[in-house]
Amino acid sequence: MLASIPSAIVIGVDGIPVTVEVHVGNGIPGLTIVGLPDASCREARDRVRAAVMAAGITWPNRKITINLAPSDTRKVGSGLDLAMAVGVLVACGELKADNVAGLAFVGELGLDGTVRPVPGVVPRVDAVAEDHVVVPWRSSADAALVSGRTVHGVRTLREVFDALAQESRLWPLHPVPEPDVVEQVVADLADVRGQDALCDALELSAAGGHHLLMIGPPGAGKTMLASRLPGLLPDLDARTAMETSRVHSAAGLTLGGLVTRPPFRAPHHSTTMVALVGGGSESMRPGEVSLASGGVLFLDELGEFPPAVLDALRQPLEEGVIRVSRARFSAVLPARVLMVAAMNPCPCGEAGRPGACRCPDGLLARYRRRLSGPLLDRFDLRVHVDRPAVAALLGGEPGTPTAQRAERVLLARERARERGVEVNSQLGGAQLEEAAPLHIDAENLLKGALTSGRLSARGLSRIRRVALTLADLGGHRGPLLAPQIAAAMALRVDVTGTNGIAA
Amino acid sequence: MSGDLPGATDAAFRRLSPAERTAACLVGLAHLPGLGPATLRRCHLEHGAEESWFDIASGHHRRVVPVVEQLARMKPAVTDKMLKEASTRDVVADLRRQQQPGWGLHVLGTRAYPERLARDPDAPAVLFTCGDLGLLSRPTVGIVGTRNATLAGRQLAESMAAELARAGVAVVSGLALGIDGASHRGAIGIAADAGPVAAVGVVASGLDVVYPRRHLDLHRRVASSGLMVSETPAGVRPDAWRFPARNRLIAGLSDAVVVVESRIAGGSMHTVDEALIRGVPVMAVPGPPGAPASQGTNQLLFDGANLARNAADVLLAIGVDPHLGAAPPHGSAPPEAPEPTPAELSVLDVLEATPSSLAEVVAATGRTVEEVAHALSTLEIAGRIGRSGAWYEVSAAGRSGR
Repeated sequence: MLASIPSAIVIGVDGIPVTVEVHVGNGIPGLTIVGLPDASCREARDRVRAAVMAAGITWPNRKITINLAPSDTRKVGSGLDLAMAVGVLVACGELKADNVAGLAFVGELGLDGTVRPVPGVVPRVDAVAEDHVVVPWRSSADAALVSGRTVHGVRTLREVFDALAQESRLWPLHPVPEPDVVEQVVADLADVRGQDALCDALELSAAGGHHLLMIGPPGAGKTMLASRLPGLLPDLDARTAMETSRVHSAAGLTLGGLVTRPPFRAPHHSTTMVALVGGGSESMRPGEVSLASGGVLFLDELGEFPPAVLDALRQPLEEGVIRVSRARFSAVLPARVLMVAAMNPCPCGEAGRPGACRCPDGLLARYRRRLSGPLLDRFDLRVHVDRPAVAALLGGEPGTPTAQRAERVLLARERARERGVEVNSQLGGAQLEEAAPLHIDAENLLKGALTSGRLSARGLSRIRRVALTLADLGGHRGPLLAPQIAAAMALRVDVTGTNGIAA
Repeated sequence: MSGDLPGATDAAFRRLSPAERTAACLVGLAHLPGLGPATLRRCHLEHGAEESWFDIASGHHRRVVPVVEQLARMKPAVTDKMLKEASTRDVVADLRRQQQPGWGLHVLGTRAYPERLARDPDAPAVLFTCGDLGLLSRPTVGIVGTRNATLAGRQLAESMAAELARAGVAVVSGLALGIDGASHRGAIGIAADAGPVAAVGVVASGLDVVYPRRHLDLHRRVASSGLMVSETPAGVRPDAWRFPARNRLIAGLSDAVVVVESRIAGGSMHTVDEALIRGVPVMAVPGPPGAPASQGTNQLLFDGANLARNAADVLLAIGVDPHLGAAPPHGSAPPEAPEPTPAELSVLDVLEATPSSLAEVVAATGRTVEEVAHALSTLEIAGRIGRSGAWYEVSAAGRSGR
């Protein structure tokens, strides 16, 4: 007797359809799984047997062979348990093949017969060809995000068996599970006092998609400012929302519905390269960069990250995707992030202020050396953060609220869309030439900076993009003016500079 | 006594002239841990260089009174280290290392020893030089200050050194970052006709060790066309204790010491103390009240140091006619700067108090980022402010221009 049940596995953030073929025949009783299962997948043998018996169904004491097709792809994880159990029941005649037709199954089995959630429900459900998918009840809300599929949430194997025992297939009606997700509350920029220039830089970063590096002493509010950045970003569009949801689902995060707000991820500086960019085990788990895709990746204490880890970020930042390749597999993970980083320039808190910083030059140089030039170059905005004045902290005027700034960001992004890109930072050379002509004063300013060596040719187009975003935020149309260029240059501090010490 | 030495060294040593033997032993002694300039001087003057060396090298260091007294103040482990070092050193090789083309080795008490230092109470027993010793017969001025100097301070040191050099004064400094480097640069910039460059660099390391590395070019220029002075043998890195010792040489080689910028407790203050001990006049450049880089110099002025507003003040103090020098350096007057806008004036006001970042200027002026950035870039192009890293600061021109 043969049964073949559709299910799916996840590699990276993509589902791959898998057909679970079950053969029940004569021979020494036992269960063999073939088709490149890994350890957790092979252990399904014991789970499936216990779950079937817990559901009150007699386990067929015959020789059972399960093949996972395509058999040249390694199967990782327990998501095929449910499909295997149903396959066994069909193959041994407990269920009719006709009743199971047109159904796909995703879920892990407990020894007591419960159906448990697995990571990557969204990409799995998306991958299967069947219109009806049986998923763990806890994941049914996530699975429902995939359009064009009818989702049946189940709690136990017995429920599945009962439903499939009749031709009418009466599925149990469970209430939609309450998502146990804690809503990420993004604090308001109005609480930030005495840091107007920084808030402006943050707004600029959000409006133009410009990566932002904040340099300043501890206690200046770098982390506080960065955590408020997601509030300035608009809601994710439908495509990005779905993509982000898939990534989060593949990483095993609870979704609680479609992810519509930009995510904020702040990996610690002890993070390994694999945890940051993804890969690792054979399931190619997405890394922090992918989890932040569509939102903000915040790297606090940038100088403490191992240089190799940071350099691994360069390609993804440029292309918006990460291509992780291993000997057997490769995966393409999304990585469209707004990168925000913070670092301390030196331990004394004066951050190299000429005449006031007490740190030996070697220490400052060592700190700067940790950051490679190409990585620093990715930051369109490099701003210095100071500790705010005491007067501004106590009784200073509250800053501009997030809502007001977010409105301007939305309008600026609207302007970018008119140019055919999502944000100004994506403008290519020719597009930039067309979108950002220069006023004669602005051109002279740039010429001066280029001839004096304070600006590189590569820096030039970055400066122009930032200046364009500044103009967009200010509602300015027409050629870029000198103050906008000057501001863009001033917001791109030379980190590798001599920092006040004569060379 | 020389029979205690290994054969090869012994033979080579015997072939040296008596003067060379003394020099070789002094170089060897200068290499020993625990034996600083003062003890070396006493060994040379009281016990004799050769006797001191062979007594220590053969383990009879107790015969050398100055060394015994010095070691009594130190940990016992230092004695072992010193004896071990002395027993393995090849002083002939040490001497050969100093005998490079253009280098000089001067033993205290000989005629070739620079006269200025011979009179010094703490004169080094052996002095290594590279360059033109004739510079020391000119009037000399030491220009010292903090390593982390402001732009205006560095510019002032540079222009002051240049004007002093033009008036025929040799500028003495320590080749450190900040003020030291700026004053050397100023003195080098004035190339007299085929004559030497009036820059004297006093360093804490061996003459062939460049510290700080960033001043490699400056080091080479001073060594090739000015004068380098050190009491540290070749190849020795500058240990922390060597810097205060070096500062006493700066004071000893100068007719006057000018402090351009210094915090209350800085290395420059040590040079000032050494100058006061020697009766060398101390001068200080006034700075804005409250500016951290000028706290030390302002305090010096309060304590009675002479005021050094410009090179003329300094020349007057050392008795050189200020009009001796040629015309002022800027033959072409700077182009007439347009009247500053209100935004530029408010930015200058903030920067004059202390070097500031963009965000600080924005917060202090209450103007927008674009306004401030535009004002900053205009002022920078006009040369009235400078930028290093994230910091904007007024230049000497910006400070005097208002």
